[in-house]
Amino acid sequence: MLAIGILGGGLAVVTLRNVIHSAVAMMICFGSLAGMYALLGAPIIAAAQVLIYLGAISVLILFAIMLTQAGDASLPAPFHRQAPIAVVIALVVVGLVTWAVISTAWHVAPTAAAVAIEAVGNLLFTDYALPFEIIGFLLLAAIIGAIFLARRPEEDERAN
Amino acid sequence: MASLQGYLIVSTMLFGIGAFGFMARRNAILMLISIELMLNSVNLSLVAFNAFVPGARNAGAIFALIVMAVAAAEATVGLALVIAIIRTRQTPEVDEYDDLKE
Amino acid sequence: MELLIAIIPALPLAGFLFTVAVGPFLDHVPAHGHGAGDHGVGDHDSAGHQPESHEVVAVEAHDSHAPVDESRFRTVPSEEEQRLTSPHYGHADDLANAEGADGVIPPELADGRGQTGHVAPGAERPRYRSWIVPTVLVGIAWVFSMVVFASVIFGGNRYQVTIYEWIVAGDFRVTISFLVDQLTAMLLLVVSTVGFLVHVYSIGYMDGDGGMCRFFAYLNLFMLSMLLLILGDNYLMLYVGWEAVGLCSYALIGFWYKKPSAAGAAKKAFIVNRVGDLGFGLGVMMIWTTLGTLSFTEVFEKIGGQAELTVTIIALLLFAGAVGKSAQFPLHVWLPDAMEGPTPVSALIHAATMVNAGVYMVARSNPIFAHAPAAMFAVASIGIFTAIFAAAIALTQNDIKKVLAYSTVSQLAYMFTGLGVGAWAAAIFHLVSHGFFKGLLFMGSGSVIHGAGGEQDMRFLGGLREKMRWTYLTMVAGSLALAGIPIFAGFFSKDEILGETFSRGYGIFYLVGIVTAFMTAFYTFRMIYLTFHGTWRGVAEVWHHVHESAATMVVPLQILAVPTLLVGLLLGIPPEGGLIHKWLSPVFEESEHAGILAGSLAASEHGFSLLGIGGLLLLVGAGVGAAGIWLAYRWYVADPAAPARFVSRIPFGLGPGMYAASVNKYYIDDIYQLAFARGGVLLAEALWWFDAKVIDGAVNGAATLAQGIGRGLRRSQTGRVENYGLGMAFGLILVLIAYVVVIR
Repeated sequence: MLAIGILGGGLAVVTLRNVIHSAVAMMICFGSLAGMYALLGAPIIAAAQVLIYLGAISVLILFAIMLTQAGDASLPAPFHRQAPIAVVIALVVVGLVTWAVISTAWHVAPTAAAVAIEAVGNLLFTDYALPFEIIGFLLLAAIIGAIFLARRPEEDERAN
Repeated sequence: MASLQGYLIVSTMLFGIGAFGFMARRNAILMLISIELMLNSVNLSLVAFNAFVPGARNAGAIFALIVMAVAAAEATVGLALVIAIIRTRQTPEVDEYDDLKE
Repeated sequence: MELLIAIIPALPLAGFLFTVAVGPFLDHVPAHGHGAGDHGVGDHDSAGHQPESHEVVAVEAHDSHAPVDESRFRTVPSEEEQRLTSPHYGHADDLANAEGADGVIPPELADGRGQTGHVAPGAERPRYRSWIVPTVLVGIAWVFSMVVFASVIFGGNRYQVTIYEWIVAGDFRVTISFLVDQLTAMLLLVVSTVGFLVHVYSIGYMDGDGGMCRFFAYLNLFMLSMLLLILGDNYLMLYVGWEAVGLCSYALIGFWYKKPSAAGAAKKAFIVNRVGDLGFGLGVMMIWTTLGTLSFTEVFEKIGGQAELTVTIIALLLFAGAVGKSAQFPLHVWLPDAMEGPTPVSALIHAATMVNAGVYMVARSNPIFAHAPAAMFAVASIGIFTAIFAAAIALTQNDIKKVLAYSTVSQLAYMFTGLGVGAWAAAIFHLVSHGFFKGLLFMGSGSVIHGAGGEQDMRFLGGLREKMRWTYLTMVAGSLALAGIPIFAGFFSKDEILGETFSRGYGIFYLVGIVTAFMTAFYTFRMIYLTFHGTWRGVAEVWHHVHESAATMVVPLQILAVPTLLVGLLLGIPPEGGLIHKWLSPVFEESEHAGILAGSLAASEHGFSLLGIGGLLLLVGAGVGAAGIWLAYRWYVADPAAPARFVSRIPFGLGPGMYAASVNKYYIDDIYQLAFARGGVLLAEALWWFDAKVIDGAVNGAATLAQGIGRGLRRSQTGRVENYGLGMAFGLILVLIAYVVVIR
């Protein structure tokens, strides 16, 4: 079920004409993914998914779409001329990786293991403290960059 | 409770869809959305591995969290860029951005 | 004695260097208006062109008994013609008058021809001193040469003098060293004697020529080269001297280089020589590769052990060089044109020395030839053919010097015939005697030209024997020698060659040789009768100025007349057993029996006998010579209309055609011009086309190709991100495939 949600959402994203519709489909996809994470015994990841993707990134994208809408312009052709090739390539990629996945003998446990929140928290502050800090810096840089990039020219002059 | 391979196949297909969307759609914002799809597919496979591979010690989960953070940062900057470009060129269609054409 | 030998070539070398360095300062040529000692405007050595082919179809009657008819006289040359044909036209030295004849003749004497010996009143006399040192040095060299000659010939000595180890490169060793045996001594005699006399002669002949110091410098350089050639004891020295005489010949033929015909003749001489030199060089190289040495003594020791084919090839290659240098068919074409040079040059180089180099070389290489009978036969065949071929051309030439030039070719051919049948000593004997009397004849012709105000064309001469006694007498002596009349030098040497040809079994060659001897006598005395007998047919005013030449020119003629008379008697009696044979026997003893055909007289061990066949042959030779003289007398003195009648009586109307062919040298020059000169030009054009279109096309095509590739590749730079994304996806696929292939 969730898989259908995921894949269906994805397909919708890439095939719908209207960008806003695609954004909504994306949100459906993200939601299904969150459910899948929960199924995989990682509720913290599911929560993070909802918070970050559904809460922040989707909103961000919707804002961006809104800010850049060119009025009631007629919807132009959604696909490039190279779309058929793109289909082929995507299928090839999928096919190759799938084949790799299927033909590998995975040494796996038969059932899913759960993820404990305390364990994750612990790891973040001990074994993976460095990446944690770096992520902080990365986000800082991203914020500064985004602010700078999205300025209007007049604000630039006033700042100078 | 599907097997690992099932999750991985789903992840792969989502990746393919995202790749197709990136290569085939003309709207710049849609391309960014497709990129998010691809990143999410990777996250899915990471969490799947984390669940099924014994001795993973939650490394997969951590990795997935970090990927999410990075994706957020990237989406932020990317969207800022795209907004700036669309404002300048008055069109969101990427195949009209050919100033660097030879 | 060794020191003397080493000094002999050093003397002309010093003379050359001295004259080059100091010579120009020794000549004082006033800038304008000197008329002393000039060669007149018309005194052109080489302007006497043959009427080019198509004018003369019928023989002109030489009417010498009709009253003097003004219209028959040569017209005064126009200004332009004077300027172009003046010997001064060739001057380029700063010292010399650069304007040609105009600057030479003072206006008051410009009556169309400058006259020798007239000094304009008040004009400054030019002063030439640059001839002193070269002539003196060559004189000293002559004295030393005579000493060496006496020591070698009469004392029976043989010298080998090593000067310097020149090339030492692994196995290849060549020294600069001199070998003087009897053969070299004979050549030394001719070269140094005639060389010295020519130097003396040139003092008078070239007087008034602003390029005098250059002339003497070249003469000395030539003497050096020729001496190196004959003194050398290995093939490389021979080759060096060989090439150097070719170079000097170029310089001297083209002495008046501003004259286009002279420059062209010099080039022709050098290039045709070079063709022969190619064969010669290859022969020397082959000697080196098969025998590992170039020294004469070593080569001759080892040559017997080689395969006959190898030796034959070597011999033929060497002979190719001789064909070029000694002007045999088909490389004879340069010698007649070489008459563009001053007469002393013709006398020295083209009668007595340089052209003998080929004969010397073959004679020196007699062991090689003795082991290659096929090559010897080739030598003899080419020799005898050239003899009659050149004689056939000389019959109709109108320029004195051209007659003598073709006669030289013909006599050289006799020498090669002698060499080819194995009559080595006889050939060298002829070389020596020919050197003397041909040098005499050339210098005499120079005297004639000088005295007749520059006229070379015999149709406009005549009656000179009254005014130029000594020239006349000496030239008659030389001509009798050339014609092979008994007592004179040529009789003994030429008839010895013919006798050997007969007795060694070459019957047909003998017949051809006899016919050629008849032709030789005929054209020689045709020349004498046309020039000296009858009445003057040139420009009337010139006749008053015709005079005997200066002493510096006449005395060498008189001196040379002596050996012309005596050499035969001294060296050639008894025939085939005379002094010269005894002297040269050590050089040729091993090759004496080469060339004898089976079944011939010599093979059957019959010696030469005055009362037997030998004497008969001598009589035939003398008779043929006398017959030629008689016919010339009939046709050019007694009955001048006879030649025309004869020509018109030739059956099938071939007469005029034959005459035209003979006058035009049997069109060999035209064939060469067409085949090689034109052919060369066409080849060059074809190659140019190839270079411009094909090679440049390839290069430009490569550039165009690169451009095209670039243009094609540029289309991938669309500037669009989706295309780039596609590219990235391709890359991703490749990586995946690689993973799958490698890991799986």
